[in-house]
Amino acid sequence: MAASSGRVVTVLQAYKAFSRITKHNERFLSTSVWRHGSAGGESPQPPKFTPPSKPVVVDKTKPLEQPRKFMSPEFIPPRQRTNPLKFFIERKDMVQRRKVLNVPEFYVGSILAVTMSDPYANGKSNRFVGICIQRSGSGLGATFILRNIIEGQGVEICYELYSPRIQQIEVLKLEKRLDDNLMYLRDALPSYSTVDFNMKPIPYSVSGEVPVNKLKVKMKPKPWSKRWEHPKFSIQGIHFELSPTDAERKEAQIQGQSWRQYDMLKEYDTTELEESIWKELQEERRK
Amino acid sequence: MALLCCRLLRLAEPVSGASRLLCPPLIRPDSCPPVQALRNLRTATWWDEHLSQENVDFLKQQVPEEYNRLTASKINPLKDEPWPRHEWEPGSRRVGLVGVKLGMMPVWTKDGERHVVTMLQVQDCHVIQYISKEEYKSKTAALVVGAKNVSPFYRTEKQMEMFRAAGVPPKQKLSVFKVTDNAIIKPGTPLYAAHFRPGQYVDVTAKTIGKGFQGVMKRYGFGGQPASHGQTKTHRRPGASGPGGDPAKVFKGKKMPGQMGNIYRTTFGLKVWRVNTKYNILYVHGSVPGHRNCLVKVRDTNLPTHCEKNQQPPFPTYFADGDEELPEDLYDEDMFRFGDESISVV
Amino acid sequence: MALFSRLWFGLTQLSAAQHRSFSVSTAASAIYKMTRVRVVDNSSLGNTPYHRVPRVIHVYNKSGIGKVGNKVLLAIKGQKKKALIVGHRMPGDRMTPRFDSNNVVLIEDNGNPTGTRIKVPVPSHLRKLEGEYSKVLAIALRFV
Repeated sequence: MAASSGRVVTVLQAYKAFSRITKHNERFLSTSVWRHGSAGGESPQPPKFTPPSKPVVVDKTKPLEQPRKFMSPEFIPPRQRTNPLKFFIERKDMVQRRKVLNVPEFYVGSILAVTMSDPYANGKSNRFVGICIQRSGSGLGATFILRNIIEGQGVEICYELYSPRIQQIEVLKLEKRLDDNLMYLRDALPSYSTVDFNMKPIPYSVSGEVPVNKLKVKMKPKPWSKRWEHPKFSIQGIHFELSPTDAERKEAQIQGQSWRQYDMLKEYDTTELEESIWKELQEERRK
Repeated sequence: MALLCCRLLRLAEPVSGASRLLCPPLIRPDSCPPVQALRNLRTATWWDEHLSQENVDFLKQQVPEEYNRLTASKINPLKDEPWPRHEWEPGSRRVGLVGVKLGMMPVWTKDGERHVVTMLQVQDCHVIQYISKEEYKSKTAALVVGAKNVSPFYRTEKQMEMFRAAGVPPKQKLSVFKVTDNAIIKPGTPLYAAHFRPGQYVDVTAKTIGKGFQGVMKRYGFGGQPASHGQTKTHRRPGASGPGGDPAKVFKGKKMPGQMGNIYRTTFGLKVWRVNTKYNILYVHGSVPGHRNCLVKVRDTNLPTHCEKNQQPPFPTYFADGDEELPEDLYDEDMFRFGDESISVV
Repeated sequence: MALFSRLWFGLTQLSAAQHRSFSVSTAASAIYKMTRVRVVDNSSLGNTPYHRVPRVIHVYNKSGIGKVGNKVLLAIKGQKKKALIVGHRMPGDRMTPRFDSNNVVLIEDNGNPTGTRIKVPVPSHLRKLEGEYSKVLAIALRFV
């Protein structure tokens, strides 16, 4: 192994040296040609310099990464005694809509720009940029909420994902946060939910893990709309300034309902369901 | 609970009308015990209590096959010996459907308005019986429609007679529809969701969700009494039930505590937004009484204001015999289809 | 003594006013009678500090709950003034904005706005009232 690697190194060095020589030669040649041309006087204008196209580096040693397998959460039916046919029919409509409208992959915490048709807006369409603070609903009734602060005024819009009024959904920044619901941004300092309307989309990779932003937000002074420090919310993304007192810790232990994780009736394992729905969606899309 | 039991009969006995109902070919003669199960509503035993495991498995496998055979062979009963079909005219009343409530979902109009609809699946819906005017003792004739196949062990002998006469599997729910004379259909005809067309208006009847015995605050929305300020044992009570001396009685119909829900209710004038002909699903505007998976009765609306929307329906019903090729989904013209482009200007 | 206590009270109030508004509780979720509101235009009446925040004392509709486009009566600086609701905390229909505060714009009895600018974004479906409050819409700088 070591021997082979050593050989590779030598080969590389040789290649580098060779390339340096050729580069030198090229330059020499090109300058001489330019001089020649100017001396001839036939074309007084020097030929325009065109930069060589950038080489595309394709690393063939690494295998091509598969795009991330992502299924929107509204495809997973809630746990209830409804006939599965109902969800199947709804999924068919959802796929139909997704064939027309590109609904990208996004999570709570991602920054989105949504264009929707609005009869009362200028130019009959309305674009809003904000951070997604909640996704809810299943099936065709799925919604998501975008939040932004415009001129010091907090504004939220709840969008219906499958409404025909939505014209475009762009992901400006794809990331996750520490929590699945960012409603506490309402009580956080305004800078945490302020997004520039003219923000340029940040490119992201379609393979590998989704980046998680481990930001801990600072809150406004109390009172808050909810007691976010309460263990039932189990919020990771808030920077609590005061460490809890003994009494609070005790209350947290009681209120935390630590037995919940052992409650077998609350378990809802969707892995098999997701697999079958994923296959079904692939087939529908191919149609 | 005590809905069914098994009566033991000797196979050697002459095959009477009563013992034929179990479909004797279903039981294999070699492994069959010398007894045969028969339903009776008198005692509480499971239908398979006196059957061997082998026979139970055999029945479970055989019954769906039998049902499929019955329904498949009856796709077009009118082909062989049809009853005459008549033209629709104002004032005719068609038969309705019995459907299963699946749940609710949103739809959007082409203006971008959002409505909610209830999905009703028409599942194994057949005409079971025709009751003539004289028999029904009414001004009109009636048709009995049933839906959702069930085990024969859960039906009485009288009902089984009816199903056998129509040549269809036993049904969970039977509903009677009054029809005019030109709208009668031969028993055994399957009914489909395409019986109703988008843009039509229907009435939906079902049993509401039962809430049990409830007080007046929940049942009728009375105000109740204050929680404090010296109240003694009086917080959710109805209060006075009327004036005292003069009528010296409580008027009839006084709102009192009692059973809430679990009664038949009808919602009138619901628009049909969309019909799925492949899975036989009706998309009916708004909410419908009853819980999920309950069986509801759907008919053309009785409201006089909506009657002009119900002109020229498939009459007397939609027959799936190729006279009319239908696409998989029928939409109301106002409704947004999910395959269309987004709405640009509302 | 009385003078001293009054002075002390005034001082504490001043210090309180420096870092937060007078009322410490969050804005009410719906606009009804006695709701504290935020005046978002640049009228002098709505922007000079006063020891009482403006409150809704009547909502001119049948339900008593004010929504975007409803007219309300305010108690502001000891006067009674009409105002137009241009945003509230309570979520309305889907696809319409919800704001973090209850915003109103002062209007005269004839519907003309008192101020000359609206400082915050205004929901675009307020344009339904184009005929009635076109002057209010004209002073809005930004629609959401």
